[in-house]
Amino acid sequence: MAARSLRAHLLRMLLPPIAALLALGALVAYYQSIEPATEAYDQALGDVGIALGSHIRASDNGFSFDLPAGVDQALRTDRYDSIYYRVLGPAGQDIAGDYELPGPEGEALAYDTVYKERAVRVVSVQTPCAPSTCTVLVAETTVKRSRLANQILFSSLLPEMLIALATLVIVWFGVRRGLGPLARLSDEIKERSPGDLRPIDTAGVPLETQPLATALNGLLNEVAESSRNQQRFLANAAHQLRTPLAGLQAHTEIALLEPLPDATRAQLEQVHQATVRTARLANQLLTLARAEPGARGNFADVNLKTVAEGEADAWVHQALARDVDLGFELADARLSGDALLLREALANLVHNAIQYSSRASHVTVRTGTAAGRPFAEVEDDGPGIPRAEAARVLERFYRVPGTGGTGSGLGLAIVREIAAGHGAAVSIGEGSGGKGCRVAITFPHG
Amino acid sequence: MRLLIVEDDAPLASGLQRILEGEGHAVDVTSRGEEAMLAAAQEKFDLVILDIGLPQMDGFEVLRRLRAAERPMPVLVLTARDSVDDRVRGLDLGADDYMVKPFAAPELTARVRALLRRSQAHGGPRVVHGPLVLDTVARRAFLRDAPLELAAREWAVLEVLLAKVEKIVSKEAIIQAVAGWGDDLSPNAIEVYVSRLRSKLEPAGVKIRTVRGFGYMLEEFKAS
Repeated sequence: MAARSLRAHLLRMLLPPIAALLALGALVAYYQSIEPATEAYDQALGDVGIALGSHIRASDNGFSFDLPAGVDQALRTDRYDSIYYRVLGPAGQDIAGDYELPGPEGEALAYDTVYKERAVRVVSVQTPCAPSTCTVLVAETTVKRSRLANQILFSSLLPEMLIALATLVIVWFGVRRGLGPLARLSDEIKERSPGDLRPIDTAGVPLETQPLATALNGLLNEVAESSRNQQRFLANAAHQLRTPLAGLQAHTEIALLEPLPDATRAQLEQVHQATVRTARLANQLLTLARAEPGARGNFADVNLKTVAEGEADAWVHQALARDVDLGFELADARLSGDALLLREALANLVHNAIQYSSRASHVTVRTGTAAGRPFAEVEDDGPGIPRAEAARVLERFYRVPGTGGTGSGLGLAIVREIAAGHGAAVSIGEGSGGKGCRVAITFPHG
Repeated sequence: MRLLIVEDDAPLASGLQRILEGEGHAVDVTSRGEEAMLAAAQEKFDLVILDIGLPQMDGFEVLRRLRAAERPMPVLVLTARDSVDDRVRGLDLGADDYMVKPFAAPELTARVRALLRRSQAHGGPRVVHGPLVLDTVARRAFLRDAPLELAAREWAVLEVLLAKVEKIVSKEAIIQAVAGWGDDLSPNAIEVYVSRLRSKLEPAGVKIRTVRGFGYMLEEFKAS
């Protein structure tokens, strides 16, 4: 579902009432001004009727209407409208004019009707014609009146529409302005490092967004608490797993020192190898759990050079045990990160390189900063990783087919996970001279 | 040597005991911090192997009290936790070395040997490494009982390496230990001293390994 836009929502809520107000305002303005105008026009038509009435002549054989052609011409000429009239005697008999002009229904003095297929306004005028009263109907088409109505409508609608437009513009920009504190809040959260679970400072937050900030702080608190719980759990799990494994390993090693029948020795060797492998797997799973998002412990200033130097001794002994020449090219690589996890990531790379290299091969650990980006990489001149497998080896439990040894397939997945937690990228390529393998972790600008 | 193991996991404790007894040490085992304090007050141990995750009084507290009581014996801390904080805290409290469980028996015995050697050598006038003997008071060296001529700088480099057998020592650390005030020693100069030492010591089977791009390591002497 697409996110609902607050602006669109506000506009949708505001538009119908604004439109209704607009219509109502226009109607009120229209009727308030159209009535006097209509009366004035009717009055003018009435005047024409009175003038026409003065031309009725009574004679013995009824009435006659005698209008000089010039007057008739002048009367009927109007800038916009056509004018018609019909003169009726006291008994309603036609005397002169347009006989087809519809008469009034009932006693109405002014009414709307249709004549010659055009809408007309008719005013009925009583005029004395001795000894009684005659009726003159004067009609005109409604061009003038329509124009006036339109003008009234337009002149009242225009400012209202401007007001409506202004309202919409104010809503549009007002929403952005009003949401400014929220944008600042989201910027503050975006800029945080993943492990930063400190509460948000609510001092600068406006009253309306206080509940949001408070709720966020509550959530941050819970996340921090659950992260602490997880770290505690991991520490306990590590303890509970490693101590018996250490005992198991110690006893198998002691037993292997005793004189044993060959078959028993072979079986015990298997037990011992499985123990070592289980221990390593337990360590890796704990590391992976520690590297999970949300479980991140402590980000601090770390120099990868110092990390590598601290582990150099242990790594060199691992390498010596497999007759591998382990070398270092260490330069400063400072960044903000979790020293423990970075140490694990590097240790996994070194372990892999040593484990999958043949005897007398060379492994080199490098740290440094290239183009402003801190990096750590491990290069070996072993068999290398086939290009097609390069992406898959970063998956959990994946091992390149045909690989010897006793790995779990977790090492590089751990590296990737830890790198991701630091916003870093893992790249796998060939070693220098197209031989072996080089795995690099490149961190974002420090 | 007399060793004390403080470890509450019975199988591990007995395993460690047998490994170290196999090395010819007399080993006492206790599972509680309080008992360890009592034992340390009554007997003189040459080395304590101390687990951090003990019930009630934990290893950190035992270590703190041992050091507060000015017991000078080396302490090797064992832990199943691997957080940097724990490691730093242990070393700050005066632990001499630190091992994360589980570990291989040869690693443990190597560390124990190194700690014992260091504590024996500490203050003692003679440093022995296989056929090599340094008399630090008379400033004379012997190889296979024959006097060995060493230049002052060569002596200084050898002393640094001897203090950390089986541990790699960075060139910077050697320079810092060797260079006097106002001296300006280059890493290349260290290489020269090490190569001279090698030509003098290797015929007797004393080996200095180069760790590419880092430094050197005096290997444990193995009689061949």
